Amino acid sequence: MERLTNSLRVRLTSVVLVIHAALVPLLYLGVSAIVEDGYAELFVNPLRSNSRLIADELEAADAQEFPRYAGALLDSVVLSGQVVFAEITDGAQTLHSSLSSVSPGRARGDDFEFADHGDQVYYISHRVKRGTRWVVLRLGFDEGPTLERIAAAKRRVLAAVLAFTAASIAVAIWLSAVIARPMVRLQEAAKRVAGGDVHTELQMHSSIREVRELNHHLERMRQELVGTNDRLESEIRGREASEQKRLDLERRLLHRERIASIGTLAGGVAHEFNNILTPILLYSQIALDDTAPDGALARDLTRIVAAAHRARSLVNRILTFSREMHSQEPAVFSLRPTVEEALALMRAIVPANIEVDFDASEDGTAVQGDPSLVHQVVINLCTNAYQAMRRTGGRLSVKLRGIDNPGDGQINPGSYALLEVGDTGHGMEQAVILHIFEPFFTTRDVGEGTGLGLSVVHGIVTSMGGSITVESAVGQGTTFRVYLPAAAAQVCERSGALG
Amino acid sequence: MASILVVDDEPEVGEAIRRVLARAGFLVAVANSAEDGLRRMDEQRPDIVITDVIMPKVHGLELITMLLSRHPRVRIIAISGGGSFGPLAYKPDAISTHAYLAAAREAGAQELLTKPFDMSDLLAAVRKLLPN
Ligand SMILES: Nc1ncnc2c1ncn2[C@@H]1O[C@H](COP(=O)(O)OP(=O)(O)OP(=O)(O)O)[C@@H](O)[C@H]1O
Ligand SMILES: [Mg+2]
Repeated sequence: MERLTNSLRVRLTSVVLVIHAALVPLLYLGVSAIVEDGYAELFVNPLRSNSRLIADELEAADAQEFPRYAGALLDSVVLSGQVVFAEITDGAQTLHSSLSSVSPGRARGDDFEFADHGDQVYYISHRVKRGTRWVVLRLGFDEGPTLERIAAAKRRVLAAVLAFTAASIAVAIWLSAVIARPMVRLQEAAKRVAGGDVHTELQMHSSIREVRELNHHLERMRQELVGTNDRLESEIRGREASEQKRLDLERRLLHRERIASIGTLAGGVAHEFNNILTPILLYSQIALDDTAPDGALARDLTRIVAAAHRARSLVNRILTFSREMHSQEPAVFSLRPTVEEALALMRAIVPANIEVDFDASEDGTAVQGDPSLVHQVVINLCTNAYQAMRRTGGRLSVKLRGIDNPGDGQINPGSYALLEVGDTGHGMEQAVILHIFEPFFTTRDVGEGTGLGLSVVHGIVTSMGGSITVESAVGQGTTFRVYLPAAAAQVCERSGALG
Repeated sequence: MASILVVDDEPEVGEAIRRVLARAGFLVAVANSAEDGLRRMDEQRPDIVITDVIMPKVHGLELITMLLSRHPRVRIIAISGGGSFGPLAYKPDAISTHAYLAAAREAGAQELLTKPFDMSDLLAAVRKLLPN
């Protein structure tokens, strides 16, 4: 950019300089010559006619008085100024004005060129007829003043030419700057565009038409570039989005397939297991029946029966799990079986020092949604409750009922299925309660909790159009209340009536 | 003395049920397939048939329908361990024991038992179906 300015300016200026270097001496010499010629003419022409007049007077002079008359004439001529030398000669005799400032010896011969030698005297000769003879009148004129005037004129010409040159150079420098500035700005703009900033409009208000046109063309190029850029960018975004969609779909399909195969496997294993467990349970109960109640054998058989029962509930959980994974379309379903299934799972997990009780009424607990999600809600809430009581033990109580217009300011009036999960655990401080529904908020040790449990619950509940509230007292326990909008329609046969 | 026919493709299951019922004083026969069950049905005319739902070849549900069409007065207890085998496998709910048993009830079974069941549950179900 600097280079361009410099090179353009230097170029323009030096071109102007070269042109002047060539032209200025020529101009000076030419003008000087014209001035010189003019002055010479002005000097010479009157002298010629004057000296002619003098020659005519000499011709007309009376013969007797001629010498005296001629002497007086010559003197008067010299006295009138300008003439610095006057003489008449007939070859043999020479009459010379004693007033001449140039001595006869120094006076040269005839001379009709102005200033052609160094004595600064211009000589004119006239042949004058005296009777039958010819005499020659020679007059010398002082060139000095004229030469001085010429020199002065030449000096003025020189000054004018030099002033003109200076002005030209100044104009050249200014002009080059005027031309270079918009060029530089255009160059900067072009550089910005090349550097990626394609969104700044190129605005060049220049008085130079070419610059304006150049700007116009560059601006059109930029707009085209922006258009192309935008098109490419949106194309890329579109591709990325569809690729993402494809990946999502693929992942979901894979997930579904995996779940389905887990379900199939679980179903097969469950079938086999239940068949195997049937004789184990029945034979051990027969044997128990045949044994004296207080013996060691009876105790062992009781253990076998208990183990078989545990195995049965485990298989049921696996079946439940795989069924949950299979049903995904939202449907109207009764909450009770779903909550029961989830609680069956919890019962298997929680230690003996925690009591689990479930109190449910069927009425008004049908909701619309995905049962497996509600399953998840129950599991997450119960897991937190269990974790709050792990050390101390306590009671996990789950309640389910339908209510109309809960008297809770946070809940809109209407019919709801209310699921309550209460514990007698350590409870929470207000500062904790404020954040529990935030993703990744956890008070558990690193690696122990992800802090996603309640945010998932919150997400599921709100996606079903419901709300969740919490009530907690430090040291006493916590109760979560989930309000799900009641489905007015009858309970769906599939998942409800069979429960 | 009431007579009972047990139909299950798992011999161990059939045998265990037979032992429980025999101890309780019932007359029990065991069949290991639906075809075998049908044959014995015609021979022995039991009061109660206890049948598995998920069985190869002829399905328990079919068996119930056939039995009832031939012997409308027979009482039926359906038992199932659930699982994804059998002709109902294509349904999303197929692996639910409930679904099988509900289908069995629809087909005409009076009592339903989920495998594995307790001895007491089995006996209770049988006694419930006996006239006196
Ligand atoms: N019943 C409860 N009693 C006491 N504190 C609770 C209870 N339920 C939740 N909290 C508090 O809320 C926090 C957030 O719970 P959330 O279920 O979202 O995450 P988490 O249980 O810590 O981790 P995870 O995702 O593994 O469940 C918990 O760390 C705990 O401090
Ligand atoms: Mg949690």
